[in-house]
Amino acid sequence: MGGRQGTTPQGRGRYPDYDILENASHWDEVTREVVLSRVHDVPPIRFFDEAQARTLGAFCDMVLAQDREPRVPVLNMVDAKLAAGQLDGFRYADMPEDPETWKRVAAGLDEVAGGSFAALGHDERHAIVDRFSQGELEGGVWDELPCSRAFSVVMRAILAAFYSHPWVWNEIGYGGPRYPRGYQRLGVGAVEPDMAREVDAADPVRETSDRGSA
Amino acid sequence: MKRPVRALAKGALGPADNDSRYLLDPHRRGLPNRDRMARYDLDAEVDLVIVGAGAGGSTLAQRLARRGWRIVVLESGPFWDPDRDWVSDEAGSHKIYWTAPRVIGGQDPVELGKNNSGHGVGGSMVHFAGYAPRFHPSDFRVFSEDGVGADWPITYDELRPHYERVEAELPVSGQDWPWGDPHRYPYNAHPVSGGAQQAMRGAHRLGIGMRVGPVAIPNGAFGNRPHCIYRGFCLQGCKVNAKASPLITHLPDAIEHGVEVRADSHAVRIEVDGRGRCAGVSYDAGGALRFQPAAAVAVCGYSIETPRLLLNSTSARWPNGLANDHDQVGRYIMVQGAPQVAGRFSERMHMYKAPPPEISSEHFYETDLSRGFARGFSIQTVGPQPIAWAEHVLADGHWGPALREYMRDYNHWFTLGALSELLPLAENRVTLADETDVHGMPVARMDYTQCDNDRANIAMAKQTLHDIWEAAGAQDVLTIDRYAHLVGGCRMGTAPESSVVDADHRAWGVDNLFIVDGSVMPTQGSANPALTVMALASRAADRLRAA
Repeated sequence: MGGRQGTTPQGRGRYPDYDILENASHWDEVTREVVLSRVHDVPPIRFFDEAQARTLGAFCDMVLAQDREPRVPVLNMVDAKLAAGQLDGFRYADMPEDPETWKRVAAGLDEVAGGSFAALGHDERHAIVDRFSQGELEGGVWDELPCSRAFSVVMRAILAAFYSHPWVWNEIGYGGPRYPRGYQRLGVGAVEPDMAREVDAADPVRETSDRGSA
Repeated sequence: MKRPVRALAKGALGPADNDSRYLLDPHRRGLPNRDRMARYDLDAEVDLVIVGAGAGGSTLAQRLARRGWRIVVLESGPFWDPDRDWVSDEAGSHKIYWTAPRVIGGQDPVELGKNNSGHGVGGSMVHFAGYAPRFHPSDFRVFSEDGVGADWPITYDELRPHYERVEAELPVSGQDWPWGDPHRYPYNAHPVSGGAQQAMRGAHRLGIGMRVGPVAIPNGAFGNRPHCIYRGFCLQGCKVNAKASPLITHLPDAIEHGVEVRADSHAVRIEVDGRGRCAGVSYDAGGALRFQPAAAVAVCGYSIETPRLLLNSTSARWPNGLANDHDQVGRYIMVQGAPQVAGRFSERMHMYKAPPPEISSEHFYETDLSRGFARGFSIQTVGPQPIAWAEHVLADGHWGPALREYMRDYNHWFTLGALSELLPLAENRVTLADETDVHGMPVARMDYTQCDNDRANIAMAKQTLHDIWEAAGAQDVLTIDRYAHLVGGCRMGTAPESSVVDADHRAWGVDNLFIVDGSVMPTQGSANPALTVMALASRAADRLRAA
């Protein structure tokens, strides 16, 4: 972790020399403004109340394995989207609107936790999220809310927030915005001059065990 | 003689009857002639109101404007200036998708929004990947040949000249095409990325033919449109003006010939006169309800908004919605099964480099009875940006540390997708839901359920993608089930009891109402629909002119 060039969530990543923000001067102005605001302007929580934010924050940390600082403020990003009334263009007939789904998920997680989901230990939280991901939560809120679909609604927003953040692009070695400068090297193994070397590329065949099973 | 000459002149010949490429600015992306666009008064009848400035509406407008028609195009969304409005960023591109409320149901609901629905001038082609394949001749007689689906009231041969014309206008790049009706493309194929090379190697080892293209991005400059820069953001709107969309391929010429594109104008009702003929269109412009009178109306709102507008246009003569005497409006809507399988390689692939549409195969396009189902599928490349890739990893069942680890491995993966031809079914349909949108208009509900033939098709397509990666030497694979594209909902046919429009796109029972978009397709093949929507609009313009 020492000597890493760019910030990554939890200091993890395979590209220690890479900092996508160093490329920002190559981006078009409109894109630069949109992307840099994710780093510099963390919106306050406005849509969720304090208890919901605590529960959902712990949930976001668990599904994204954000177990220490620096953290991408995913819940703030989701909250801003919901507060602005930004929708995705569809709602399952057996589901409430997305903002309502989020609130019910918060209530449902606390219900299953028998109090505060955030106050549980790691293993208990993990077990609940695992059942949530398998569509297996039952009782109370979950008798009214289709579990698998609720998981897909909240995960869609969480992934969109997390993987839009430049810190995460540092972690995964993604090229980021590319206008007006495009790509010029397209072959197998070809790397652009401005993209960093990769270290510790885990072979997923030999190292699946390290990935945990979700 | 025509074909050999054209082959020699690849990339040098543009269309003679569409100047859009010269009406753009080489250094700015917005339309220079927007400032001098015609404006029509609301108290005077125009020749035609077109609802929707997408693939169908824009092509129709361009063709008829050149014949002197006075046309207003109503578009619900904004008039884009790519320099100002679009970003080279995945999450920041939300506004180019149709994100207004819609309800999805059925046993296999279809997610909408960014997956398949556009908003704003240029329509869904603003965010389409860029694949521009033709349909096969067999697509037009599916019922006769396979006993499923439906026949079209027109043949492939009737559409072929329009395919050729639109391919020259977009223009399309690709290798000579061996499938369906063999043909050439006006531009040579693009160079391909490392992952596409691996996929071609795997396919060839299995004896599956694979070609580069066909892609609606010229391999070279085209008029004042610059060369593609291979940045990979085709699905987020092309800030280069390299990838085709009607915003740059047809509307500049349409505007030059007197078309008014009225953006931020959401059509809420088609009004009829005492005899049940169209009188014009009522639309919501920023909260003000306006009425544009017209001698004829062409609805080009695509498979969900077109039926929704007709169903909402009730009157004494049309109590169940305009042109809906036989309960056909909204039925037979289709999507393609679009599973994706990613393969992992020890080398770095960077699947987000180069346009997502690179290579494709129509090897499995036609019916082969030994497979146990009718019709087939095609195979294409896709280049997911990080958010789409994360959705892919999640769909394979990974969250938490596993998700993060697969995502850290992003640069080593490459993704293939299939397009499975799903069959038109009457109960797959668009209806009006109880809730209303900001315009006070009932929102659309789309129900979708697969049939056994659909499931068998998707299963084989998925297995084939796995096989290709295995043959290419991939170390690991990840799979996601999804859908792509939308067509049908107001299909063309030979009788009012089983279709909404006739072979000339004229609505049964309303002689001045036309539907010119993807909703008229009776079947969908396993080809991406954009080129066919434009070719249909090009042909519809000829028929309208003749009428």
